[in-house]
Amino acid sequence: MSKGGEHVLVVDDEPQILRALGVILRNAGYAVATAATKSEALDAVSVRPPDAMVLDLVLPDGSGVDVTSEVRTWSQLPIIVLSAVGDEREKVRALDVGADDYITKPFGTEELLARLRAVLRRAGDERDDPVVKVGGLEIDLTDRRVSRDGEEIHLTPIEFDILRELAQHAGKLVTQRQLLQAVWGPGYDLETHYLRVHVAHIRAKVEPDPSHPSYVITEPGVGYRLHEPAS
Amino acid sequence: MSAFDAVAAIAVATAAVAALDGLTSAANLRVIYLLAVLFVTIRRDEATAIATAVGSVLALNYFFIEPRHQLRISHSEDVVALAVFLVAALVVGRLAATARDRADEAESRERLARVREQEARLIARVAAEVLGGASIDERLPAIAAESTDEDGRPLVRVEMRSVPVESQDEYAVRLPTGSRSGWVYVRRNLGWERADAERLAVALARLIDVAAERERLAVQSAQADAARHADVLKTAVLHAVSHDFRSPLTAITTAASGLSEGGLSEQDRADLVSVIETESQRLARMVTDLLDLSRIQAGAVDPREDWVDLHDVVAGAAAQVRTANGDHPVAIELPVDLPLVQADPSQLERVFSNLIENAVRFSPPGVPVRVSGGTGAGRVTVRVTDRGRGIPAAQRAQVFEPFFRGRDSGPGSGLGLAIVRGFVEANHGRIQLSTSDGTSFAVSFPAARQPAPSA
Repeated sequence: MSKGGEHVLVVDDEPQILRALGVILRNAGYAVATAATKSEALDAVSVRPPDAMVLDLVLPDGSGVDVTSEVRTWSQLPIIVLSAVGDEREKVRALDVGADDYITKPFGTEELLARLRAVLRRAGDERDDPVVKVGGLEIDLTDRRVSRDGEEIHLTPIEFDILRELAQHAGKLVTQRQLLQAVWGPGYDLETHYLRVHVAHIRAKVEPDPSHPSYVITEPGVGYRLHEPAS
Repeated sequence: MSAFDAVAAIAVATAAVAALDGLTSAANLRVIYLLAVLFVTIRRDEATAIATAVGSVLALNYFFIEPRHQLRISHSEDVVALAVFLVAALVVGRLAATARDRADEAESRERLARVREQEARLIARVAAEVLGGASIDERLPAIAAESTDEDGRPLVRVEMRSVPVESQDEYAVRLPTGSRSGWVYVRRNLGWERADAERLAVALARLIDVAAERERLAVQSAQADAARHADVLKTAVLHAVSHDFRSPLTAITTAASGLSEGGLSEQDRADLVSVIETESQRLARMVTDLLDLSRIQAGAVDPREDWVDLHDVVAGAAAQVRTANGDHPVAIELPVDLPLVQADPSQLERVFSNLIENAVRFSPPGVPVRVSGGTGAGRVTVRVTDRGRGIPAAQRAQVFEPFFRGRDSGPGSGLGLAIVRGFVEANHGRIQLSTSDGTSFAVSFPAARQPAPSA
C-alpha cells in the first residue's frame, strides 16, 4: 500500500489498459490521473506534477522517448516506461534520455507495484539508514561490510562499489552506464565487459546458487537490479 | 614476270635444241620447243602462252631451219608447227586455268572451313555457358580470350563496353545486341576476314541477348518463388493463428463470464482468474513469437551487440522458464571460465528460454534439463539437453522449420526453434541438433578476442 496517496500519471493510448491500471493503482492506494497522448501527458505533468509517471512507449502523436526527454528538461519525477518485447531499442533510448525503469508488457500487477515503490522510494530518499537490507543480504554503506544471513562476505573494493551502487537503488534498475560511471568514472561507458566479469565474481560470493542468481539480476542489454529473492 | 618466263623458256629450249642439234632430225627438235610452250602455258595466262608459242616458232625457224639465221617461214612444216604450238598453248592453257581456279577455290574453301570451325567452337562454348547460367558479362571476354588458331595464336577478343579499343591488326565489330554494349575484335592475317568477324559478332550478340533474357527470367522466377513461399507461410500463419488463438480466447471469455456470475466460492474465483492470466500470457507469447518470426524472415533482426556473459543469459532464461513451468529443475553446469561473447543479450536470452522451455516440455517430470558448455575450436558452445523422448530421425531435418511440431505436438506454436535458429544465426552463431545422449541442442558462437580486464 502506498503511504500517503502519491499521485501517479498513467499514459497509454489504449483505454482498456488505462482502465485496468487505474483500478489496480487506486486499489494500491495511489491517486491516479490518465493521459492518452503525448500532448495530454505533457499538459498533465505541467498542470499538476505527479509523484511518478507510468508511460507507454508508443503514443499516437509521438513516442514515450520524446515525452521523457521533454519532461527531463525541467523535472526529475520518476518515470517507468512500458515496453513490448521487440521494443528493446526504444526502451534503451528512453532509459538513455532519463527514464528511471521499465517494465515489459504483459506484466503482473505485483511487478508493476514493486517497480513503482522502488522509484518512489528513491524520490523520497531512503539514505538515512546506512545499512541496506535486501532479503538476507545486509550491506553497510559506511563501514563497507557485506553479510548474508549473518555471515560476513569479503568483497574487493570494486565489487563493493558495484554492490553499493545497486544497494542504494535496491529494487530499481541501475543501467550499465550508471554503474560504470559510478564505479570507474566518466569515460568508461562502453566497458561493459568490466561489469560482466565483476558481477560474476560478486554472484559467486553473494548468491546461494550463483548459477541461478536470486539477488543480483541481469536486465539483458540494459543493466542490473538488486532484487529481493522471491521466496 | 610472265614475259620473263616466256623468254627464259624459249632460251632454255633453244639451248637444249642447240645441244641436240645434229643428233636428231629437226622435226624431233620441235618437240623440245613444245615442252617450253606447255611449261609456260601451265603456269601463265593465255597471252603469255600464245607469245611463247609464236616466239618458239620464230626461234626454231631462225636458229635451226635451213637457211639458218634468217626468218623465212616457207615450209608447210613450219606453218603446221606454229598451228600445233598455238593450239597446244590454247587448249592446255584453258585446262591449266581451270585447274588453277579449282585449286584456288579449294584453298579458299579450306580457309573458310577453318574459320567456321574456330567460330563454331567459340560459339559452342559461349552457348554452353549461357545454358549453364553463367554471367555472360564476366565469362564472354574470358572465353573469347581462350580461342586461338591452330598454332595457338590468340584470335578473338571481346570487350563488354560501349567504346571500341582496337589495335591496328584487328577488325573491330560492334556486337549488335539489344541488351548490352560490347565489341568483338578479330586478328587480321590469321585467315579471318571482316565478313567472318561480322558473322561472329551477330552470333555472339544473339547469345548475349538470350543470356540477358535468361537472367531477367531467372530474377522474375526467383521473385515469383519468394512470393509463393511467402504465401504458403502466410497461409500457415493464418491457419496457426485461427486455430491456436481460438482456444485461449475461449478459455478467457468463459472464465470472465464465469467471474461476472455471482455466488462463486473464493477458490472458484481464484481458479477463473488464474485461467485468464495463464491463457492471456500464452496469447502474448504467441504474438511475440509471430512478430519475432516475421522480423527474422524479413531479415530485420538487427542485433544490438554487447559483451555477453552466457551464464547471465542462461540464468535469466532458466528463471523465466521455471516461473512459467512450475519450477521444473534446470541444472546449469557451465564452466566458470566460459569466455564472454559479442551478441545481442536479449536475443540470446530468448534463444535459451525457447530451448530450455522446449527441453522442459519434453522432459519427464522431475528429470532436470541440463545446460552444459565449453570452449574449443575457436568457439564457445552451450548445450541444452533433455532426457525425454527423442526426435525421430525422419523429423530431425525439419525441427527448425516454422510451424513444424515434432514429438507430440504440445502447446507450443511450432515457432520456437525457427526463432531460435533465426536469432542464433543473426548473432553469428550456429545451432546443431544431436541425439546421441538425449536430445541436445548445441548453440555456438565465435570466441571473441577477450577484452582487457579492468584496472
